[in-house]
Formats: sequence, C-alpha cells, structure tokens
Amino acid sequence: MSTLDAHTGHHEEGSYLSGPPGMMAKIWQWMTTVDHKKIGVMYLFAVLFMFFVGGVAALLVRVELLDPIRDVAVQTVNADGDLVTTTTVTGQSLKEIFSGIGMADGLTGTQIYNRVFTLHGAVMVFMFIVPSIPASLGNFFLPVMLGAKDVAFPRLNLLSWYIYVFGSLFGILSILMGGVDTGWTFYTPYSTTTDADHWRVVLMVTAAFVLGFSSILTGLNFVVTVHKLRAPGMGWFDMPLFIWSVYATSIIQVLATPVIGITLLLLLFERLMHIGIFDPAMGGDPVLYQHFFWFYSHPVVYVMILPAMGIISELLAVHARKHIFGYRAIAFSSLGIAGVSFLVWGHHIFTAMGELAAVLFSGLTFLVAIPTAIKVFNWIATLYKGSIALNTPMCYALMFLFTFSIGGLTGLPLATLATDLHLHDSYYVVAHFHYVMMGGTVIAFMGGIHHWWPKMFGKMYSEPGALIGMALVFIGFNVTFFTQFFLGTQGMPRRYANYVDEFQTLHQISTYGSWILGLGFVVHLVVFIHSLVAGEKAPANPWGGLTLEWECESPPIEHNFHHEPIVKHGPYDFETTVPPHWDPADWPIHPEAGKRH
Amino acid sequence: MMMPTLAAAQPGPFSRMIFGDKLPASEAAAWTDALFMMITWFSVFCFVILMALMVYFMIKYRRRPGVAPEPSPHHNTLLEVFWTVVPSSSMLVMFVLGFQGYAAKVYSPANALELDIIGAKWSWRAIYPNGGSSPETQPLSYQKTVENGMEVVTQGNQYPIFYLPEDTEVKLRMNSVDVIHSFWIPEFRTKRDVIPNRYTGYGFKTPKLGKGDTFIHQETGQEMIGRDMWVFCAEYCGDEHSRMAATIRIVPQEIYDQKMAEWGVQLSPVELGEKIYKQICFSCHALNGTKLVGPPWNSSTLDGQQFGYGYDVALEDGTSIPRDDNYYRESILDPGVHVVKGYPPTMSSYQGQLSDEDISGVIAFIKSLSDRGTMGQETESEDAGTDQAEEAAGSES
Repeated sequence: MSTLDAHTGHHEEGSYLSGPPGMMAKIWQWMTTVDHKKIGVMYLFAVLFMFFVGGVAALLVRVELLDPIRDVAVQTVNADGDLVTTTTVTGQSLKEIFSGIGMADGLTGTQIYNRVFTLHGAVMVFMFIVPSIPASLGNFFLPVMLGAKDVAFPRLNLLSWYIYVFGSLFGILSILMGGVDTGWTFYTPYSTTTDADHWRVVLMVTAAFVLGFSSILTGLNFVVTVHKLRAPGMGWFDMPLFIWSVYATSIIQVLATPVIGITLLLLLFERLMHIGIFDPAMGGDPVLYQHFFWFYSHPVVYVMILPAMGIISELLAVHARKHIFGYRAIAFSSLGIAGVSFLVWGHHIFTAMGELAAVLFSGLTFLVAIPTAIKVFNWIATLYKGSIALNTPMCYALMFLFTFSIGGLTGLPLATLATDLHLHDSYYVVAHFHYVMMGGTVIAFMGGIHHWWPKMFGKMYSEPGALIGMALVFIGFNVTFFTQFFLGTQGMPRRYANYVDEFQTLHQISTYGSWILGLGFVVHLVVFIHSLVAGEKAPANPWGGLTLEWECESPPIEHNFHHEPIVKHGPYDFETTVPPHWDPADWPIHPEAGKRH
Repeated sequence: MMMPTLAAAQPGPFSRMIFGDKLPASEAAAWTDALFMMITWFSVFCFVILMALMVYFMIKYRRRPGVAPEPSPHHNTLLEVFWTVVPSSSMLVMFVLGFQGYAAKVYSPANALELDIIGAKWSWRAIYPNGGSSPETQPLSYQKTVENGMEVVTQGNQYPIFYLPEDTEVKLRMNSVDVIHSFWIPEFRTKRDVIPNRYTGYGFKTPKLGKGDTFIHQETGQEMIGRDMWVFCAEYCGDEHSRMAATIRIVPQEIYDQKMAEWGVQLSPVELGEKIYKQICFSCHALNGTKLVGPPWNSSTLDGQQFGYGYDVALEDGTSIPRDDNYYRESILDPGVHVVKGYPPTMSSYQGQLSDEDISGVIAFIKSLSDRGTMGQETESEDAGTDQAEEAAGSES
C-alpha cells in the first residue's frame, strides 16, 4: 500500500495526534492548541457527550409516557371488618426512578417530567445540535477541504471552544441545582415568573446567552476562512458542497445569534430587575418575546440542517463515485434557504398572532420548502448511473433521504393554516421536527462521522458492527417517531406527562422504539471504542474521494499538507479523475483516466 | 356557511386511521381533515416516487467489481425547471386552501352564542352570557373493576363540563389570568392561544346530535343524549399543564336552557357592568350623550365626534382606532395610552381594583349601550389590517 510518506519523501512531520511524552504535557498541549483539528476533535467529544446527556433525558421522557397518571382507589376490609378505601397514584415512573436514587427532592411526578423534557430540549438544541456539525466536522474539515493550514483566526477558534465549555458549565450547574421547567423556548411570562426564588432559570438562560457567542465567533471565523484561504486554483464553484453549506450556516450564525443574545438579556432584565418588557403584569407583551425568540430560533433550524445537507452531498457523491447532480442548484439553494429562513419565524406562533400576519407567514413558509425539495431531487438524481457502495456512511446518507423526506413533507400541513390550527403544539409537531432534526441532522452527522472517522483518527471502524448499529437506529427511530404523527392528529398535545386512555397503545410503541434507538447508539459507541483501541490502520483515501482532505495522510500531519495543494480538478470529477494514491486493486478504472497523474 | 365540496365525502378508512374514532365535529373541521388528507396523499405520492427511484438506483447501480460508473449529465435545465415549478404550484394550492379553511375557523357570525373562556394555572372556566358557570365535573378516564369482590376504581383528575347547545354558532372570547395557555378542542380541529391582558378567540358551529351521540351520566349511570369532547391546554404552562383539561358537552337546546336557568343566578355581565358603572364610572361618563370629564358611553354624536362601542375613536395624536373589547380593557387598565381627542388625560388605572370579571362586565354594559354592540366585532385587533383581512376571508368562504 502506498503511503504519502513514501510518495513525497517527507518523514519528519508526525500526525497531529502525536504529542509530547507525558500525560500532563499532552493534556496541556491539547488545552492550549490552536490546531483546528484538535479543536474539532475536542468539540466532537464534547457534543457527543451532550448528545448522550440529552439522549438519556429523552429515554426518561419516554419511560414516563409508558402509562398515564391515575388515581387507583382499592376497597379492602380492615381488621374491624369495615370497608376501607385506599388510594394510590400510578403511572409516575420518573418519580419512582428519582426517588429510588434520592433525587426526587419533594417534587411531584409532573414537575419532574417538566424538568426532564426541558433538560432534553435545552441540552439537545443549545449544547448539541447547534454546534454539532459546524464546530466538530466543520472545524476539522473546512480548512483541510479548502487546502488551508488552519482557519483564518486560530486563536479565536480556541476562544470559541472555551466559551462553549464555559457556557455549557452554566447549563450543567443549573441542571445539578435541580434543573428548570420552562421548556427550551423560555416562553414569557412563564419563564420570568416560575421558580422565582432560585437562580436555576437565570443560569440556564445565561448558558444559552454565552453559548451564542461561541456560535458567532465560529461562524465569523469560517466566513473569513472561506473567503481568504482557498487553495490556489479553487474558485467559488470548485468548493465542495460541504463548504458551501457550512458557509451559508456561518452567515446565519453571525446575523441571527445576536438577536437571541439581546432577547435573553431582556428576559434576564425582566426576571432580575423587574423591568417590564414581556410580562403584561408589568406592562409588557408576552407575544413580543415569541417574535424575538423565533426570529433567531427559526434561522437556527437551518444552522442545524444546512451542514447536514452539505455532508449528504459529499457522502452521496463519493460513495456513488458520481458527479453531484446540479452542483450550482444545490449551492444556491443553500444560500436561498439561509436568506428565506429569516422571513418565516412567524409560523411558530400561528396560534398567537393576528390573522393578517398568519396568512403572510404561511405564504412565506411555503417558499422555504422549494429549495429544500430541489436538493432532495438533486441528491436522488446523483445516484443515477453511479457505482453505489452500501457501506455505513452511504447507508446513513440513504437513510437521510428517507427520514428527511418524511420530515419535509409532513411540514406541509404545518405551513397550511387550516390544518396547522389543529396540529400546532401537538405530537404531530414533535414527530415532524424530530424527523427533520434527528432524521436529518443527527443521521447526517452519524454518516459524516463514519465517512471521516478514518481521516480523523487514522483507524478504520468495523463495517459489520457499524451496519448493525445503523439498522437499529433506522428501525428504532421510525418506530419511535412515526407513531407520534398519529398521536398528534388524534389530539395528543406536546409536553404532557399525562394523557387520556386512548393514546396509551401508541405511546407504548413509541417508548419501545426509543429503546431500540438507544441500543443502536450503544452499538455505535462500542464500534468507535473498538476502532480507537484495535482498529486497522486507515489508508489516506479509503473511499476514493477527490476533495482535498483525502490528499492528506490519515490522520493528517499538523499543518495538514506537506506542500500547499494546487487544485487541478473539481471535487466531484470522478469520471475524468482518478483519486491520487488510489490503489487500483480496489477499484477498476478507465485506462485513459490515469493519464492526468 | 358554504364550504367547498371537499368535505362532502364521509371520512375514509385512512382518515379514520389518522384522526382516530373522534369524527370531526363541524363542517370546518371536516374540511380541515379533507385538506389534510389531500396534502397527505400528495406527500405519499411524492415520497413513493422518490423512494422507488432511490431503491431502484441502489440495486441497479450497486458497486460491482470491474463495473465502472457510466458518465451521465451533471445537470439538466429542463428537468430542474420541472421539479421547481411543480412543487411550487402545488404549494400555492395548499396555501390558498389553507387560508380558506383558516378563515372559516376564526370567523363567527354576529348572532353567535358568546362564551367567555378564562384560563388559569391549571384550570379552565367558562362564563355563559347570563353570567353563570358550570359546577359539573367528570374525571378523565373512569374505570371500575371488581377484584376478589372488592371495588377498584381507576381514574384521572376531575375536570369541568361546559354545556353547549347543538347546531349553534359559538364564539369564544378568551383571556388568561397568568401565563399563556392554548384552548384546543381536537374535535373542532382548532385552537388559539389564551394570553394574559388580551382577548383572543375563535368560532365554531356545534354539530347536530345523531343517534350514536350519548354519554353515561356519572352519578345515575343513565344513558343521556349528548356528545362529549375533550379540551386540552396546548401551550406549556407549568406543573399541571398535562392535567389542564375540560369537557365540552353538546346537548339538545332544552337541556342547555335548563342548565342555564339553574346556573344563571348571579348577575349577568351587563347587570354587573351596570352595577359597577353606578358605583364608579358615573361621575365622569354619561349615558345620554353629554360631555362630562370623560367621553359618553352610548352611541352618540358630539362636537363632530362619534362615540359608542364599535365606532372608531379619534385620538389626541390625530390617529383613530376602533373601539373594541381590547380598546376598552386597555382604557380601564392603562388609560393614558389612547386618550380621546378633546378630553384631558386625567383618568387613573383601575388595575387591581377591578377583577377580570368586573372588566368584562363593564365592557358588556358599554356594548349594550351602542347600536353597534351586537355586530360581529372582532375580539382582537393586533393591527388595523387584521380585521379587514378577516372580514374579507369571512365573506369569501
């Protein structure tokens, strides 16, 4: 097997993972590193840890919903022969679990449930899914795919990592102090009045506020990097689509995140200093908060999904060995989505706003569906006449097309006003956004991690093991969330610890699904650990990709490339180009195709 | 109300699978279901085509040793225009139909039965036009079994029952005393947020009762004529959010009248308002169209200005806004915000002195003094354009 070392004759530079001897020296080196790859890896482990925390909360939510809360009155005969009625409360699984470990803290079953679902939402949104792809895979691969040594501002990059950790600490502190029950959206006047004599809500809001700065700085860094550090020969339309999508994401982050910062600050002013902004008791307007909040939080939905779309473009092209269909349409639809995303926030508050505004936002919301639909069509067209390898990254990409299409199509009745009035704030919405956020972003993230795992850590993972994990995730995900569409249409509101009897069967199916889903992620965890400990050494280009990261060693050297790379072909020119250092034994190529090398 | 024929068909088996056994309770609700099914079939059609293509490509073009991918075009303008235009035009159809259905759900005619809904952590209260409210409750899910000769009763919390007459247009006027709630009646397929310090609302027409519409009376165990439907709070409001519910019971008119006679012993809102007027407001506001410290309350013309509920008010700053429920509420709680042209800003706030019920009473009294008081006024007007949009919507459907 050819290696880059043998090819270029450079032996002295070690991989970015090799550090000084000694544990303390290694830790110090990682903590003070300005290497985008190390920062990316640190983000990767941090967001995966947060995913674990949020995931455990999700499983707890599902356990509570196995049965409804009921008073059971049983008649018994006591020693004197009198009829005595004893009443017990059933269906409070969370209370039993938390009492069992001495953490119920005098709370009722519904109070514990409210804290757990808020924990799930807040951790998943602010600490996992917003930073997930851009901060981990984006940090690692954006400079490498551009052919750069690092991001434009490496020290700023380290600062965003520390701000992320600092912000997360606030959130974790709030959770350790007992958690908050506001829901991740912090709707006023509930959030400004609940739990009034405690600091927990303030800490959680501060966490979201601080995390926003991490997001802004990372976004700014990426925008400058894309503008200034592209390798010689790489024009805007020679960039891989992953870069395009991270670029569009970064623009949203820079423009929208300050709005949530200001909004959360106003919320803190109201809560701590009783300056009436949102609470009508103090002369404020509670719906104003919702407008401010969603003005950020809707664009942020696209911060979550755009990088995922970028990953899918890469995975489909590389593992089908096919030029992406409609490159420019995909690139422009990323920017189009980013632009329109600022105009549709109102659809989150159709039931709280005036009629004219609702009609306008309904119309605008349909606009955002069009570029998304175009992307899906392009991806499926890319598969045409390809050479499709059904390995784990590709299976995740195909799973994305399945789940994300369901997520997108089930959004149509939510944009349609008449049907939204019924479905709003129901389980239908819960199912819809899990199909988009989890079936979209998390699935693409999993595909991306497997795709780039050999590059990041220099080790292959066990393909059969990962495929088993993938299958479990696919089955578990659909069982968990498809049932929730029916719960919603039949009248089950979201954020409910309790429900009427007729919903129980569907809730139970959903909970069983969540266990399969959890098992799938455990399998993946085992596969990853096995790979790090005993994985086979990865070649530089295991999939035959043509983007620049595959020209580095696996794992890359500290400065990524031995020589500044010069771009001679497009990222998806599989028909005309043979990947460098490609082992012909792995892949039959056109005889004339190799002439360019 | 004339609705398009979309709702004419009976719900099919798929519709039942999706919406459960609870049939839509009004024409607007049936229309919503039909629209949902239309969008769903469109989605299923698109999804099946996309997935069929994907699976076909996955199998046909799977990687095989020695077989290279064939070249194919990198884009195709005609195809791309096609798959941009087709979804766009389909969505335009959805948007327009969605707007029509929405208009049918927010609009209610002038003679509708008006029900005041008050949301509070964590209960619903309904005040009837005669000032009465329901003392009846029933538990969520009630099961009685006998084990070893001993009774075992399993039940959820007790919730109030709101009675409504069959085949009647109903209009809700909703307000919250604390945080934001949302009044969702799944069988009418509609909801609206219930917001503190602001009236919101929607309308629906109760169904005619059919043969199968019966319920079991909790105490007597008798089978009675009526249709029960759940109301849930759909906006997260804290600890007992998941147990903030109520039952709406549709009953024949005579049973409703009987209940009203039973419950309506308190003052009606108009009587309550008149009482408060005589205690507090009389010194500054006249009922015969004359000018005191403040403007008169009845519909009258004075110095070229029109007064009375339902007429626009000319303000000190030269603009004008409609006199509706929210205007009066604001004028009672925060009188300095909109000062009538030609009158001094001397009134002080009655925040904390008058309860929500008192304020509703005063507004009802003011309404009764105007010749526009019974018109189909909108319960909320966040912006001036809203009312027009809705009226336009109403006349279309």
